[in-house]
Amino acid sequence: MLKGIAALAALGTLLAFSVAAGAQERTVKITGFGAKSGVVRVFGVNSEAALRAAAEQINNAGGVTLGDGSKAKITVEFLDDRCNAEEGISVVRRIASTDAFVAVGPTCSNVAESLFGILQKKVGDASDSGLQFPIIADVAAKGGLAKISEWSFRNVPSEFEMYKSLFAWLKTQHPDLKTLWGGVEKDFAHSNATFGVMKAQAEANGLQVLGQSEWLLADTTFSTQVREMKRANPEIVAISAHPFTSCGVLKEMERQGVKPKLLVGLTSSSSIETLQGCAKQAEGIIIPTSFAPVTPEAVKAAEQVAKFGGSADLHSAAAYEVMFILKDVIETQKIMAKPETVAADRAKMREGLAALKETPGLLGKIGRTADREAIKPYLYVHAKDGSWQVLYKPSS
Amino acid sequence: MDLLDVIDGVQSVADGVLFGATYALLGIGFTLIFGVMHKINLAFAAASVGAAYASLLILAGVRAPPALVFVAAAACGGGIGALVYLVGFRFIPLANPLATLMSTVGILLLIDEIIVHTTQGVPLNYPALFSDVIIRAGPFSLRGDLMFVFALGCVCMALLTALLYCTRLGLATRAVSQQPVAAELCGISITNVNVLTFVITGVVGGLAGAMIGAAIGILSPLLSLPLTIKGLIVTVIGGLGSIPGAVIAGLLVGGLENLFQFLRGVSERDLYVMLLLFVFLVFRPRGLSARPPGHA
Repeated sequence: MLKGIAALAALGTLLAFSVAAGAQERTVKITGFGAKSGVVRVFGVNSEAALRAAAEQINNAGGVTLGDGSKAKITVEFLDDRCNAEEGISVVRRIASTDAFVAVGPTCSNVAESLFGILQKKVGDASDSGLQFPIIADVAAKGGLAKISEWSFRNVPSEFEMYKSLFAWLKTQHPDLKTLWGGVEKDFAHSNATFGVMKAQAEANGLQVLGQSEWLLADTTFSTQVREMKRANPEIVAISAHPFTSCGVLKEMERQGVKPKLLVGLTSSSSIETLQGCAKQAEGIIIPTSFAPVTPEAVKAAEQVAKFGGSADLHSAAAYEVMFILKDVIETQKIMAKPETVAADRAKMREGLAALKETPGLLGKIGRTADREAIKPYLYVHAKDGSWQVLYKPSS
Repeated sequence: MDLLDVIDGVQSVADGVLFGATYALLGIGFTLIFGVMHKINLAFAAASVGAAYASLLILAGVRAPPALVFVAAAACGGGIGALVYLVGFRFIPLANPLATLMSTVGILLLIDEIIVHTTQGVPLNYPALFSDVIIRAGPFSLRGDLMFVFALGCVCMALLTALLYCTRLGLATRAVSQQPVAAELCGISITNVNVLTFVITGVVGGLAGAMIGAAIGILSPLLSLPLTIKGLIVTVIGGLGSIPGAVIAGLLVGGLENLFQFLRGVSERDLYVMLLLFVFLVFRPRGLSARPPGHA
């Protein structure tokens, strides 16, 4: 009798343990990476906050459904690449040595350019020993980077499309303006490349580009450059630079009394940093951006990202959207998220991401191109009364 | 080159010379520490920028007029200077020149990361005095804020010279610099002199940081490294250990930098500044302050 009771108790205990184990939640870790130290730390801070905010939204709605039908919660890990190409490659190799089946990043174009180069160029090419690991970039903005490898994807706006549209719109709104002067931060891949886009689009829309002033990311004086600008007396000044030097130049323009009729800025400058550095001098600057809190989804995203200590801008909004894109692909591709299925999961993730034709976004539907880039909705904002306000929505 | 080019060129050089006052102050900081301890403090420019940031923190907490930002930066600079000595020099074997050099590199990176983590790397507005004042003379104009920066720099240099040559502290500092053993035998505490040198150079650095912030109008952690390089160039061109040399070299580098920028553009500007450094290293290794052979 006692033996029977003991056996029953043991069976009960075993059952209780197995139920508890079954009830234990599965988790899927999504690893992001980008600059979390150095002068562009704010990119990483915002990206991480956006990824965590989106993961929380997904988890609150029940999590993600895996290939075996079980539900899993998403956890986020974010690694620092210091905006350095070697460190970015090292970080991704480290992520790829784990069970991770996808990574989100990087934040810097110079890192993305080198990093995508170590990935296998063409899927299935046995002669290419490149890393077979899908990466989707959220911030690195220099045009055309996803083309480098079939394992690389991006959810960043097309600056070519945005400036093409902006200059065409400016032509209709200000047909009297005929001349433009450029200002470019020469030693930053994104600013330098984007100035090429601005210049080409300005010329395509009949503007005469009188010349350009150049400076470096860490420059401290801009008097010579602004004097060149002043002498040319342009009607439009287009500045392709990040907030620190944009603000330095705008302040110098104010000192020297350079008052163009129109100011155009770099996408990355439509952020809180510019307003903190030089709201007064930036007043009126027009910048195309793929994010502004103009839809209920975007307003909610901005609130959630702020809750996680970040700021929603065109870059971090892309990270927020990426998390939802990944959730959809995990579910449609029936990702198993088990150690023994890592290689298969990575291949399925890549296929799923490559097959996307359209994804939901905070400002509307995001189209996907054959070369794994995004066609994002955008609008024009301008600095007004110390904040970014929507000037025009091209789609409306 | 037409008349307008000449006017722009002269104006560029004038702006550069005025901004060069900040380089001169940085050079003085490097040179004073080298003069006393025969060590290079690579963290000096970063500490100067750190002091300017710290002054913003203080002013954010206390409602005070913008002019006080300079006083606060100087005070913070002094404090940071003492800390740099304590961390980077006090307990490091001074006999090994590489040890202190590396410790100051570490402090430079540490200060930079502290700034980045405190501000997320976001540029911050820095108050400028007399920013509305423009002094015009024909086609030329001089910025009031840069004139103020220049004047403040000159006052600092004069005060430092007076401190070194007209006070007991200055006498002790020069004694330690020239004959540390003899100075110690005369009852001068080398540690105290070293600490005071770091505090004084920290105050100068804090002022330089505030002046740079005021001249640009914003502060960014991006400033530390280029200012370190500029400070070192000024120190070498001026002659290691020479305050008047640092002053002249600071103004010279500021002016030439803008002239090269005007004539050759941004991509070649730094190349010529570096060439100037090499010219001095090869043909006048003791810098501007070098005396002809035969002089004591």
